[in-house]
Amino acid sequence: MSSEQVIDRLKNALGDKLKGTFAQTALRIYAEADPADIVEVTRVIHNDLGARFVIASGMEMETDFEVLYHFAFENMPPPCPLVTVRVHLDHEKPLVDSITSGVPAAAWIEREMHELLGIEFKNHPNMKPLLLAEDWPKDVHPLRRGRPWEGKVDRKI
Amino acid sequence: MGVTVKALMKSPWVFHVSAGSCNNCDIEILDCLCPRFDIERFGAVLIGSVRHADALIITGAMNRKSALRVRQLYDQAAKPCLVIAIGACALGQGVFRDSYPMVQPLDEVLPPGAVTVYVPGCPPKPEAMIAGVVKALAQLQPAAKPEGAEKEAADVQ
Amino acid sequence: MSSPWHLLGLLVFPGFIFMAAVGMLVSWVDRKVTARVQYRVGPPVLQPLWDLLKLIGKETVVPRGASRVAFFGAPLIGLAGAVFVGTMLGYAMFFHMGFNGDVIVALYLLVLPSLAIILGGSASRNPIASVGASREMKLTLGYELPFILALLVPVVKVSMAGGAGPLTLTGLLAYQAEHGSFAASFSGLLALVVAIICTQAKMALVPFDQAEAETELTGGALVEYSGPALAVFKLTKMLMFYAVPMFVVAVLWGGFGNSPGGIVLGVVKYLVLVVVITLVRNTNPRVRIEHAVKFFWGPVTALAVIAMVLAVWPKW
Repeated sequence: MSSEQVIDRLKNALGDKLKGTFAQTALRIYAEADPADIVEVTRVIHNDLGARFVIASGMEMETDFEVLYHFAFENMPPPCPLVTVRVHLDHEKPLVDSITSGVPAAAWIEREMHELLGIEFKNHPNMKPLLLAEDWPKDVHPLRRGRPWEGKVDRKI
Repeated sequence: MGVTVKALMKSPWVFHVSAGSCNNCDIEILDCLCPRFDIERFGAVLIGSVRHADALIITGAMNRKSALRVRQLYDQAAKPCLVIAIGACALGQGVFRDSYPMVQPLDEVLPPGAVTVYVPGCPPKPEAMIAGVVKALAQLQPAAKPEGAEKEAADVQ
Repeated sequence: MSSPWHLLGLLVFPGFIFMAAVGMLVSWVDRKVTARVQYRVGPPVLQPLWDLLKLIGKETVVPRGASRVAFFGAPLIGLAGAVFVGTMLGYAMFFHMGFNGDVIVALYLLVLPSLAIILGGSASRNPIASVGASREMKLTLGYELPFILALLVPVVKVSMAGGAGPLTLTGLLAYQAEHGSFAASFSGLLALVVAIICTQAKMALVPFDQAEAETELTGGALVEYSGPALAVFKLTKMLMFYAVPMFVVAVLWGGFGNSPGGIVLGVVKYLVLVVVITLVRNTNPRVRIEHAVKFFWGPVTALAVIAMVLAVWPKW
């Protein structure tokens, strides 16, 4: 399926919840959504359109936080594009709904984004630390800019 | 030299520990057991339980979680036990030295004098690892002649 | 023979030293054939001896809270079982001495090494060891029945034909020396096949080594053992490598005749069994414990029962 066909399918399914679709190449489609709509958008893409949830990425940019959700339309005839849905979050208090109600596979990556970047996910079923050590201080988020762990963590065990 | 020390040189059972490595060194270690290099002809066997180990082969930069476990594994191994540090990460944490989860390097995690041999490389070639194991075994002899160890290392290459 | 000679018989020939030497040699054959099949070179001949000597030089770590009596007694129980079985077998084959019912005693003694693994694993205070011990229990329940049935086929044949001493090893060997080995008959052949399959499980070799699953259970029932205690377990395994196929050859495949040609033929049969076991070990994956038990209680036991029923008629 070509990227235009996929974009048409997405627009038909989601209407104006999906803003700013952009096909960077034939296999790479980007779209924007509001943080308030993201649960519905991902649920439709994952359950109704049958795409596979690949992973989610979190980034701290200069003025905001971004979370990207990547979906692969492998149930369609090749070439199958990778669709990325982007949300922009507030820089001081990044907060978004957890998409685990529609996409249960997102549970672990949201835990990882929470402990490494400090992004809050509402209604997450099991928000426990995933990767960091047990004695790591809970308010130090290592993947934020500016090496926030300097001076706060003991470098000897 | 006692017969049990000679037997230890002829039958080093190897236990492989990866303290958060990128697995490149681990793949090269498995190469040593495959038909091209075959360290079983020197009596070395990869065993499952750390209590049966005569040599701990440690890869990986020491991050917070794994450094603790490496120390516990060293205590659990039945002495006398050689420790062979493989790869740049195990020697001095390699390119990950200033990263957030790193603690002190391997020879400070283990008791002083525990590490028998350091094999540099990223990853070291299997020939280098075999030469390292031969040097480690030669250290068991109290009055080892240097030429003897180098002759054995030259023989296996 | 008076008693001091029997002590020498237990300790040297055909007892402990002889069994250990043959066991180490055969264990080397197993490792060498494995290496060759995997296109490698393999260890030198004395490797099993170096392994045991090295283990004797290491310290033994006893887990805190483990029962020391069971922890150290278990390997000795296994060793005792293996040594006594091998000695009885050697006396029957080389000196033609035995006692009435020694086949039954041998079958009981052959269980002791498995019991030692169960006891040692349970005494180790380690959940991995408990899993290994419970798997060994299930496996033993599985293969003991067809093993005993297969080894009773010669007893049935000898007693139906009216031969002397059906329950003695010497009686079975004498009957085979006169009438040809049991494997030449159909029921004997079935019994031999069943016995070979059960031998694979009794010696805890792939596809039936769930108790000591190295890659899966990190050592299984023996995970906490180290030093001389582990050396005794490894030595017991080597002794069983001698005792069990030799038992199968003696009871089902004609044993060692009296003439030099018969001895050579017996050695060849024993080596053929060892190589078959090694090749099966190298060409099969480890099966799950439920599949192994179903396999033994299903097709293998059925085959053994058929063999026992057919053994009643002399032509079969």
